[in-house]
Amino acid sequence: MLASIGILLIVFVIISIEVPALVKNGTKQELRVFWVLLAIGTSLGIALGFKIHIPNPLDWIAAVYKPVSSLISSLLQ
Amino acid sequence: MPADENVNISVRQFTILVFLYSVGTTILVIPSILAEVAKQDAWIAAVLGVGLALLLVRLYSAVGNLFPGLTLIETNEQLLGKWCGKAASLLLVFFALITASELLYFMGTFMTTQIMPETPIQAINILFALVVIMGVRLGLEVLARSAELLFPCFVALFLGLILYISPQIEIRNIQPVFETGIKPLIHATLLFISVFSLPAVLFLMVFPVSINEPQKAQKAFYIGTLLAGIVLILVIASSILVLGADTTSRQMYPSYVLAKKINIGNFLQHIEVIVAIMWFITIYLKMAIYFYVAVKGLALILHLKEYRPLVMPMGLILVAFSLIIHPNIVHSNVYNKESWLPFVSTFGFALPLLLLAAASFQKKQKVTSSDQCSQGSE
Repeated sequence: MLASIGILLIVFVIISIEVPALVKNGTKQELRVFWVLLAIGTSLGIALGFKIHIPNPLDWIAAVYKPVSSLISSLLQ
Repeated sequence: MPADENVNISVRQFTILVFLYSVGTTILVIPSILAEVAKQDAWIAAVLGVGLALLLVRLYSAVGNLFPGLTLIETNEQLLGKWCGKAASLLLVFFALITASELLYFMGTFMTTQIMPETPIQAINILFALVVIMGVRLGLEVLARSAELLFPCFVALFLGLILYISPQIEIRNIQPVFETGIKPLIHATLLFISVFSLPAVLFLMVFPVSINEPQKAQKAFYIGTLLAGIVLILVIASSILVLGADTTSRQMYPSYVLAKKINIGNFLQHIEVIVAIMWFITIYLKMAIYFYVAVKGLALILHLKEYRPLVMPMGLILVAFSLIIHPNIVHSNVYNKESWLPFVSTFGFALPLLLLAAASFQKKQKVTSSDQCSQGSE
């Protein structure tokens, strides 16, 4: 709970640093990407704060490369 | 085009960047893995690995020289077509971001297990990520200059380590030489270059686009890799010479244990933190380059003018990933020994080869089409 509030504070600081300049320069595409990334980051952080299980991307990578890595270890051991 | 297009780093700065980047995590994770696979012959695997690394640098400079004015992301799009190129680039960005957060995890685990056991890992990761975010936000030039400043510090600490540990070297620890078979040796060499040299493919985002004298940059790439290789061979060899292959393979951080052994006249002891400072320097720069590539790459894929606004939100994701990617050290060790090699080879070996093949195919097509044109005009 406390962690999520901390994350929201950090997000607020980030917004107050970045957004005014982006709005002033009128860079729409940048602003859109910024919001998307910020949303992903915030939701990951809040999920961590509430100890929600997040799927681990490295496990996907390990699963994708499983055939190759087992081939390497069978060849070289 | 990007507003920071006129970013330029000097050839010397590039050499130092390559050097610190290649030493990077290798000094931290590789000695124990190598000692586990190749026993007392780990140093031979490191020597072979440095040789292979120089060949890989040749490959990377060939790819870099295909389009000297374009970064790797733009080269992808140029050679593989719009959609395939973008897909390859997105995977590359994902790779860079995930690996940056893995380095953050290494840093946090090292600090919480060895130096500050009561501090939560989140605090260390956030602090370290803040410095990286600051560096990347300030840009490549600032990173290169800080590398230039930190380099003498690194060299002094490294020479101190080797000098102070040398009285405890015992030659019989590496005997018998060449006892391990050819297979473990090859395996160890591959594991070595997977950490040492294959990630250097990310330098194609910098080389030769952002270097002020591109024709000299190739030589700088070689020199940086070679110097880093010498440092790593020395560290691995001294770990084995002082601690022995068994102890080295059982330690999580052998070079840290190595520095704990320093004892000059029962007076100068317990100075292992000099090794920790060496790691802070190299891992900081390695992580900053990974993170820079991730952010800059995403900005280039989406054709943004500036990458700087994306740095802080990406930093949030970086820290969050660093806390979830490895639930424990065993997970990280298994990943580094098994999945990391094929994962990094996809980008460090297969992608450059694919780009070279596509380039030669394109060239051939151009030649035949211009032939047809000239025949048609006759």
